[in-house]
Amino acid sequence: MHDAGAGPVARRILSAKNSQPVTYADAEPSAFASMLGGLIEANVASRPEKQKDFNALAARVGIWVTDIDEGVTLDFRRGHLVVHNGLEPKRDITIRTDADTVMNLSNLKIGLFGMPVYYDEVGRGVASKMFQRKLRIDGLLGNLATLNTVTRIFSVQ
Amino acid sequence: MAVKAFSDEWAHQFKDEVNKSSVYKAAAKGWKWTVGLVIEAEPDKNFPEPKGVVMDLFDGEARDIKVGTAADAQGCNFVITAPYSRWKQVATGELDATKGMLQGKLKLKGDLPTIVRYTKASQEMTECTTRVPVQWPDEF
Repeated sequence: MHDAGAGPVARRILSAKNSQPVTYADAEPSAFASMLGGLIEANVASRPEKQKDFNALAARVGIWVTDIDEGVTLDFRRGHLVVHNGLEPKRDITIRTDADTVMNLSNLKIGLFGMPVYYDEVGRGVASKMFQRKLRIDGLLGNLATLNTVTRIFSVQ
Repeated sequence: MAVKAFSDEWAHQFKDEVNKSSVYKAAAKGWKWTVGLVIEAEPDKNFPEPKGVVMDLFDGEARDIKVGTAADAQGCNFVITAPYSRWKQVATGELDATKGMLQGKLKLKGDLPTIVRYTKASQEMTECTTRVPVQWPDEF
C-alpha cells in the first residue's frame, strides 16, 4: 500500500506549506478562524521569540467561545498551523470561555521564564474567570507547558 | 436631545462622549492610528447611501470625528465595515462589538495584534456610542 506520508511528494507538500505559516482547513474559514489565524501569523512574523515557539510546537488546541457558540481547532505542526472551523477530534487542550476572556487571553503579559503573568489586571481577570469556572481548560494535566507555549504565541503583549 | 444617526451632530456628540470617558483615556494610551467606520447602505431601512465615519484618535483622545463618504473611512489605518442595521445594534447595545467581530458581523481590516491590544479601548468606545441619543432613519 502506498504510504503518502513518507515519499518525496509528501515532503514537497510539507515544504510548500512551510512557506505559508498559517493555512485553513476549510474552504470558507469562519470569521473567528480567520481572526485567530491572522493574529497568530502576525505575531509570529513580527516577533522572533514567538517564531521560535511556533517552530517547536506540535499540538492540537481547541478554543470554544461559549457566548457565540463558535470554535476553532488550531493544529500546530512545528512551524506550520492549520486552522479548522469548529472543534476537531484528538485535541490535546480545549479552552472553553466567553469572547471577552478570549481577548484577555491574548492580552496576557509574558513574564519571567516565559510564564504568563497572572498578577496584573488582565491576568487577575483571567484567573478569576478560571476560579468561577467561566474559563475551562480540558487536558491541562500533562499539557501545562503546551498551554504556556500557546499563550506566548497567542499573546500580543 | 436625539440627533440623526451618523450626522455631523452625532459625530460631535460622539466625540464629546469619548473625550469625557476616563476609561477610554486610560485604555487608549499609546493609540496613534485613524479608525474608519463604513456604514453600508440598506435602502429598505431608509438608509439609502453608504456613509463613512473617520476617527482621528491619538493617545487616549478623540482629536476629530467626522462623517464623510465610505471611501474616506476606507482610507484609515483600521477599517470596520458593517451594514447600517448592524451598526444600529452596536450603538443600541444589542450587539457587543467584540463578539460581532469574532462572528464576522463586523468586518475588520487592519493590524490584528494592535487592535487586540486595545480591546478595552474599543469596548469603551462602543459604550460611548450607546450614550448618544439617536434618531434612527428606519424609525421615522
